[in-house]
Amino acid sequence: MRSEYIWSIVLFFPLLIIQTTIVPFISVNGITPDLILIMLVFYSIRNGQIYGTVLGFIYGFLFDLITGGLLGSAMLSKTIAGFIAGYFSNENKRENYFRTYTFILIVLLCSVVDLIINTLFSTIDLNTSIVLLFFEQGVLPGIYTSVLSAFIILFYPKRSIIEN
Amino acid sequence: MFRPFSNIWENFKEYIVLVVLIIICLITLSINQKPAAKKVRSLAFGSFAAFSSVISDIFDFAGVRGENERLRKFNAELMLQVSELRKFGIENSELKQLLSLKDSSNFPLIPATIISKSLSRSQNTITLNVGKNDGLKPGMPVINDQGLVGVVSSISDDFAIVQTLKNVELKLTVKDERSGVEGIMKWNGSELVMVDIPKTYDIQPGDRIVTSQLSSIVDVPVPIGMALGLSKVETGIFNEAKIKPYADFIKAEHVFVISIVESKQKNGLELNFYNRN
Repeated sequence: MRSEYIWSIVLFFPLLIIQTTIVPFISVNGITPDLILIMLVFYSIRNGQIYGTVLGFIYGFLFDLITGGLLGSAMLSKTIAGFIAGYFSNENKRENYFRTYTFILIVLLCSVVDLIINTLFSTIDLNTSIVLLFFEQGVLPGIYTSVLSAFIILFYPKRSIIEN
Repeated sequence: MFRPFSNIWENFKEYIVLVVLIIICLITLSINQKPAAKKVRSLAFGSFAAFSSVISDIFDFAGVRGENERLRKFNAELMLQVSELRKFGIENSELKQLLSLKDSSNFPLIPATIISKSLSRSQNTITLNVGKNDGLKPGMPVINDQGLVGVVSSISDDFAIVQTLKNVELKLTVKDERSGVEGIMKWNGSELVMVDIPKTYDIQPGDRIVTSQLSSIVDVPVPIGMALGLSKVETGIFNEAKIKPYADFIKAEHVFVISIVESKQKNGLELNFYNRN
């Protein structure tokens, strides 16, 4: 279990470098996918709800610390996203999630929740429509992130490889 | 004795962990502005930015050819403008000498490269490859050839984090260059807006918005964007104007930091004055 934590944290750093240097090139109208969230959902489904919650907390903490955002905002949103993703961690269904489009839907749900919580912390403007704000800042980037998560399904090893 | 607790832990451990972590998050949110938190943050991003800069350099090199082409064209256009401006400059300096005004346009510029960008919709930040060792201080304005990009918020020895105009935490005093109307500009999460403008004030679509001399952060006129017109706020006596920023934060790669900082002396003087009255 401990080595699982170490690997997921070690992988966070190269992914954050990609997120902050390469991902801006594929942004569409300022909307960028969140690779860190995809990895968080993946590990949460694989290792369970407590693991997902703690990992979300660690990822959020490191993200806030490194990117200069409001310290605690990504921590909170990613903790809750990890908790939700971990809810889908079921030993019998786990493999099916990674091979079917259910994974995309889980990423979409977690991403929307993550972004909405982040938005609540950073945007307090009564003149802006809340529905429009949630759509622009929650749903649209969430869809982009979930579309990108399809790569996990495509490249996830087949059962025979895992069993071997 | 511990059995009931053990049962509660077994049944609700996921929720207990979640609640504990949420409480820690909320505590962290409340200590954001403490010097210790700022120090830890600058240490963390300073170490990480060293790795990011290597990757950024590789991508920078790939884009150099295209950028050279663009810059050559831009250079030619600028040359034409410079010859015209030179004429105005001579005339301007003569007039300033006559009025015995101190020339305030010679601000030292520190060139910098953007090594990473955190493009969230509300907390847009960029990391620069210059820091304390290059003379940077928090509060210095960052510009590019199009206009104001943001303001330096945290620094380490060799790197700096900049809050761009698309960051809800950055608020600036700006003015309409044509009509002189002043207002507070902020990012509301989806648009750049100038808020609390009395409904009778004159702001037309296409007006150039620049930073105001009244601003304690950027007190030199730096172009920010173009007014898209007033949006009618149903209630109250104030309107807000939408602004289209000149600087393109997604494509920006190279910027300049203007080496000026908020005048503590001026702020202190104003504060004392208001406290007395």
